[in-house]
Amino acid sequence: MKKTIAVMAALLLAAVPLAGCSQKPEEPEKVVNLFTWDTYFPQDVLDDFTAETGIKVNYANFGTNEEMLTKLEAAKGGEYDIVLASDYIIDIARKKGGLLEELDKSRIPNYGNIDPSFQSQYYDPDNLYTIPYAAGTPLIVYDREAVGFEIKGYEDFWNPALRDSIVMMDDGRNVIGITLKTMGESFNTTDEAVLEQARQKLMELKPNIRALSYDNPQGVVGSGEASVGYMFTPQVLAALEAKPSLEVVYPEEGLGFGIDNIFVPKNAPHKDSAYEFINFILDGEVGARISSQVLYLCANRAAEPFLPESYKNNKSLHVPSELLEDAEFIEDVGEATAIYDRIWTEFGQQ
Amino acid sequence: MKANRKKRKDRLPGLAVLPLAAFTVFFVAIPLLYIAALSFLKRDVLWGVTNEFTLENYTRMLDPLYLGTFADSLELAFLTTAVTAAAGYPFGYFMARLPKKKKSLMLLLVTVPFWTNALVRIYGWIILLRSGGPINGFLVGIGLIDAPIRFLYTYGAVLLGMVYSLLPFMILPVYSSAEKLDWSLVEAARDLGASKAKAFWTVAFPLTMPGVLSGVVLVFIPSVGLFFLSDLLGGGKIMLVGNLIKNQLLVARDWPFGAALSLVLMGMTALMIALYRKAAKARDLEGWF
Repeated sequence: MKKTIAVMAALLLAAVPLAGCSQKPEEPEKVVNLFTWDTYFPQDVLDDFTAETGIKVNYANFGTNEEMLTKLEAAKGGEYDIVLASDYIIDIARKKGGLLEELDKSRIPNYGNIDPSFQSQYYDPDNLYTIPYAAGTPLIVYDREAVGFEIKGYEDFWNPALRDSIVMMDDGRNVIGITLKTMGESFNTTDEAVLEQARQKLMELKPNIRALSYDNPQGVVGSGEASVGYMFTPQVLAALEAKPSLEVVYPEEGLGFGIDNIFVPKNAPHKDSAYEFINFILDGEVGARISSQVLYLCANRAAEPFLPESYKNNKSLHVPSELLEDAEFIEDVGEATAIYDRIWTEFGQQ
Repeated sequence: MKANRKKRKDRLPGLAVLPLAAFTVFFVAIPLLYIAALSFLKRDVLWGVTNEFTLENYTRMLDPLYLGTFADSLELAFLTTAVTAAAGYPFGYFMARLPKKKKSLMLLLVTVPFWTNALVRIYGWIILLRSGGPINGFLVGIGLIDAPIRFLYTYGAVLLGMVYSLLPFMILPVYSSAEKLDWSLVEAARDLGASKAKAFWTVAFPLTMPGVLSGVVLVFIPSVGLFFLSDLLGGGKIMLVGNLIKNQLLVARDWPFGAALSLVLMGMTALMIALYRKAAKARDLEGWF
């Protein structure tokens, strides 16, 4: 047994220096290392980028924003050249410091194509680090005929006529968030008394919930299993595709908002390639191809003339800008996270 | 003992064990110690953990709310185990009494579903159970009901999915212990005047108990963890411990609390196995690898 331990210790010791010198020498070949969810950058766009610039694309996936930040931290802000992730996690990365590269806009000739209404947000107030890539607003979709009355906002979810007929995302911050909105409060309140009221109100919603689903609410509404849904932008589109008779509603209490952004990590190994990639993405024609494939709101003004008609006429993709101005992000709530988690756990109890 | 070991020249087997030992140390023991250490730290408000020591993650679990989540999970696990035992025992028992050819055919049929991914099979159930699905279509068609019944996204659907997924783990151990059963003992009981039922309860059933016990362990333990079934068939409305842990890691970013919850869940599983071993005593672990 002692011998086994000695061998193990030797192996452990051998592993330590190996880990220390894993940085490879600079490759002569031009590459860019992308890091985002699977298929979020359309493959044909990447192929064109390589054809045009000769830069080879390496695509690494993550499943969740949290996984991204954990890996980026482990790599000390290196390894990846382009990261595409959600607003709140970028906010955390920015506050932690030492992970995001301040962008040199003189190296991005197409920078001016960005729609400013997607900029200067809480996670990057001075637009130092981020390029908005895609944005979304969760909306209500419902089957008017099955419901029998007009749904105007979140408050209607509490209508007793909707017993067992609503599907929503399986996400506490969003569902508690819309409860707060019906009370005229913010998605991000940390006031315990307000949250207690929201908790009581949320429990009354329970009988009306048919299902909670993060990945497939469109299937639940599309198959008629539920007649009302509250879901993310691409899911709204998928639900409409499955059942064109569904109606889309901009909730009158105010919209939720989310923006996925591109940033360059502080110690990115191929910053030159990263700038070339960002500039390529911000081209109008490329931007239109991206938006019409990922099916989110387009943050590229120059893409407008290239967008297909079906995209332009879509209510869930073309949200009136005055509504977007009042839309609210779901932000990190610090210590209050525990209260939200508690409420959500209680909601899941029998 | 020591002299005995030296004599055995266990050098070669020792080396052969090395890969497994290394695997266990690096991928089981070290991560487990890491989780244990993590469970005593504090959540950092922004991201990650702070180096402060605390027992709060464990005391927090005593909150009736979180105890309730554990209770819900255990209740579902007990129900699943009870239903699979009730359905799986007769199946395994009678399967062992079939002629040899039919026996292997049945064995094959029990294992065939495992050739397909579990998620795919659960999606099959979703299609069967939904309002516009074939079951409701049939019931409406024969005039038994007027409007479709809501099978999907109910507690019953979750239980059905659990039982469906885990039933073979009950059938197979019961089958293997029933197959080893010395039927002449049952015949002897019958010869001595016991009724069929009495012979079963006093002879056959106790002798197949080891199979039932290992079936119980094999069903109960995974059933605490199969939270994706609650998400898919229950419509995500019932929060089980698995969901709670997932939320700590991905939503609340409270890794220490998630770690503490995982450890308590593992402790409960270990307790369950200890109880089983005690009950099974020196008996073989039927079906246990």
